[in-house]
Amino acid sequence: MNRIDQLFQNKQKDILSIYFPSGYPKLEDTLPTLQLLQDKGIDLVEIGIPFSDPLADGPVIQTAAKQALDNGMTLQLLFDQLKDARKSITMPLILMGYWNTVYKFGVDAFLAECQKVGIDGVILPDLPLEEYQEEYKAKFETAGVHNVLLVTPQTTDKRLVTIEKAASGFLYMVSTASTTGGALQASKEREDYFKKIAALDIPSLIGFGIHDKASFQHAASFSNGAIIGTAFIKALEKGNTVEFLESLQ
Amino acid sequence: MKIKVCGLKYSKNIKELVQLPIDYAGFIFYPKSPRYVGEEFNAAIPALFPKSTRKVGVFVNEELNVLLAKGEKYKLDAIQLHGGESAEYCQKVKEAGFEVIKAFQMNDNFQFESLNEYEDVCDFFLFDTKTENYGGSGRKFNWEILENYKGSIPFFLSGGIGAQDAEQIKQLSHDKLYALDLNSGFELQPAKKNADQLEIFLNKLELNTMNKDKYAVDERGYYGEFGGAYIPELLRKNVDELQENYLKILASEQFKKDYARLLDNYVGRPTPLTKAGNLSKRYGTNIYLKREDLTHTGAHKINNTIGQILLAKYMGKKRIIAETGAGQHGVATATVCALFGLECIVYMGALDVERQAPNVARMKMLGAKVVPAISGNQTLKDATNEAIRDWIANPESFYLIGSVVGPHPYPDLVTRLQSIISEEIREQLEKETGNPNPNYVIACVGGGSNAAGAFYHYLNEKNVNLVAVEASGLGVESGETAATITIGDIGFIHGSKTMLMQDDDGQITEPYSISAGLDYPGVGPLHAHLAVSGRAQFLSATDEEALNAAKVLAESEGIIPALESAHALAVLEKMQFQKDDVVVLNLSGRGDKDMETYMKKFN
Ligand SMILES: Cc1ncc(COP(=O)(O)O)c(C=O)c1O
Repeated sequence: MNRIDQLFQNKQKDILSIYFPSGYPKLEDTLPTLQLLQDKGIDLVEIGIPFSDPLADGPVIQTAAKQALDNGMTLQLLFDQLKDARKSITMPLILMGYWNTVYKFGVDAFLAECQKVGIDGVILPDLPLEEYQEEYKAKFETAGVHNVLLVTPQTTDKRLVTIEKAASGFLYMVSTASTTGGALQASKEREDYFKKIAALDIPSLIGFGIHDKASFQHAASFSNGAIIGTAFIKALEKGNTVEFLESLQ
Repeated sequence: MKIKVCGLKYSKNIKELVQLPIDYAGFIFYPKSPRYVGEEFNAAIPALFPKSTRKVGVFVNEELNVLLAKGEKYKLDAIQLHGGESAEYCQKVKEAGFEVIKAFQMNDNFQFESLNEYEDVCDFFLFDTKTENYGGSGRKFNWEILENYKGSIPFFLSGGIGAQDAEQIKQLSHDKLYALDLNSGFELQPAKKNADQLEIFLNKLELNTMNKDKYAVDERGYYGEFGGAYIPELLRKNVDELQENYLKILASEQFKKDYARLLDNYVGRPTPLTKAGNLSKRYGTNIYLKREDLTHTGAHKINNTIGQILLAKYMGKKRIIAETGAGQHGVATATVCALFGLECIVYMGALDVERQAPNVARMKMLGAKVVPAISGNQTLKDATNEAIRDWIANPESFYLIGSVVGPHPYPDLVTRLQSIISEEIREQLEKETGNPNPNYVIACVGGGSNAAGAFYHYLNEKNVNLVAVEASGLGVESGETAATITIGDIGFIHGSKTMLMQDDDGQITEPYSISAGLDYPGVGPLHAHLAVSGRAQFLSATDEEALNAAKVLAESEGIIPALESAHALAVLEKMQFQKDDVVVLNLSGRGDKDMETYMKKFN
């Protein structure tokens, strides 16, 4: 069974997910960071594929991606780094990146590598749903790789129906109209949106703007859990990841 | 014009039809029709048609849940409602994700005002002959009454069309006529179509010449395989809103009037078409310059910003975001924002802010806020990223893009707004030479907006050679270039599938050109399609060649061109013309902004 499905079967509350860019801060840091996250009890990890033009990301992730690229990070190198990861890593793993890098790598080759190293899902924010369904869905399903879809506060009810039907794994619930790393303001409107998504038949995690224990707990109270990205990258940058992860417990 | 064949049922018959250019295949789910598909209809039969043929289910006053279930079972793309269905009913079908075609029965007294309430809830209307039994009469109605239809929804023409009608159909000129609905006129027996007769009829229609839209964008924003809207879900609602509104607004009388008036008395259109006598002598042919350099603000960019600012106004937007490279589009945007009293934020790569100081000063004087983009390499690509990020964070804003790039509908929107260039060329050339068509149209390509505008009305005129000129910087082999079509390959940038400069790992590479307006690693999807299909010839000019061409024009015609336009001029040296050829070169802008570069080179 896909590890993402397994996770949501075994755990419905307070799922803590961390995003970090591969090859950052140092080229060879991908695997040690994964190990640390598992040791600290993180439930689910999203590994960033660095891209030169990350449209949906704020300055912190942009800078980290650029650093990774300057370090020499590539998608092929990421697969190489992950070659033996499954010897010790049991958490579900998701790759998050932009469509151009995957397309250029070749979709078939990409999925074959995902299967080989044990990737459970992908998040490709700029691959449109319609194109995905018509051209790629069958391939992803055959490879057993979930294509995790995003919903946002701007997503209309009509589109939500389409997304819910097409979703697999879980829904990535974007908390607010902003690129990654923005602040999350609590409001009645926001909570209504969280509740609406949480009421769907598919599990959901809230991301964008979750940065500490309090914001995690607040978000997790409306959904199956939440995703922390920018705040963890800042900890990677400062070198206080252990402290940061422990502060979330 | 699209073709719908309706009243299909038999798989053997369909297999004879699949090679014909059929855009819509209709299946009748109304039990009283002689062409009813029946209770046991096999869902694999509609799927015999290729994906490009849309499957339509025809229903008459059906219960909604029954209809939706059939829609799902037979994977229908569109629902044709042929009974007395209400606007609310249509809306529900549309909300379920189907394209809605609402049929109406015509007679001489038909009141087209009764369609008003259906405008927002239908994608198409279908006009059929009035009968007692919901269509299928085999008779035509009086097509003259179509003149009374002034609505904005395109329509299918239906009712008794037969093989003998081809000539009359070719004479129809209603601008909302979208498709022909063919049924009983081409049958051997009910629901069994005569494939040979259909083929002869479709050939007679000469769809290829009628379809002026071979190079037009399709419903999903593709030109051939290029285009689309590859955007994060965060932008979906904004982009959908624009997709839903732009054609309606552009076609409205109010927009047309406002746009024409501003082009006339603010921009200074029509711009002249100047016969360049000395240049013609030099190259042994007849060269005409389309003088976009004489517009207000000094480049074609203003044609687009005037149109988009009107669109923004009609959509109720108050805050305008734009990106700029050389600053020409930034200035053109700041100008129209000042004119309309709207807030204006322009993103400009930090490096370009330094390189293009005079334009930064102009934008500021016009009241715009100029935000230096400090991400990436700090040029146009990064400014565009920042503008899009701003739009994500401020979804109520209007993103006023500067070229035929970005997610659908921007490439089509900007192309339409720039098409005034070739519209004028045709008229002016006809007056001057008696023929609206030249032998060549030449334009430079950064994102491709001035070229798209200069090519637009010639796209389907096979005898007009279209020549696009990219900037090759220090040379295409040098690594310091912006010749996307020459060295790029397929990729995705700023929401569009197109040709792109990238490395083997799919990272977008930084272009180089002396001209900031051509310094872009992608190209509009229309141009990718024109290049790959061979419709346009793509050449390139180096920094050096462009600088020299600027000097030639200045000295021979007394016109100092923009560095971008100088790239188009540079290929005159490389091309072979006949003495009688008519060559139109789009002079996209004037050289004031480039004086510093010219002075460095020539003093
Ligand atoms: C005078 C002039 N010509 C051409 C261009 C290139 O843009 P496009 O290819 O969209 O026409 C620019 C862009 O700034 C320009 O200022």
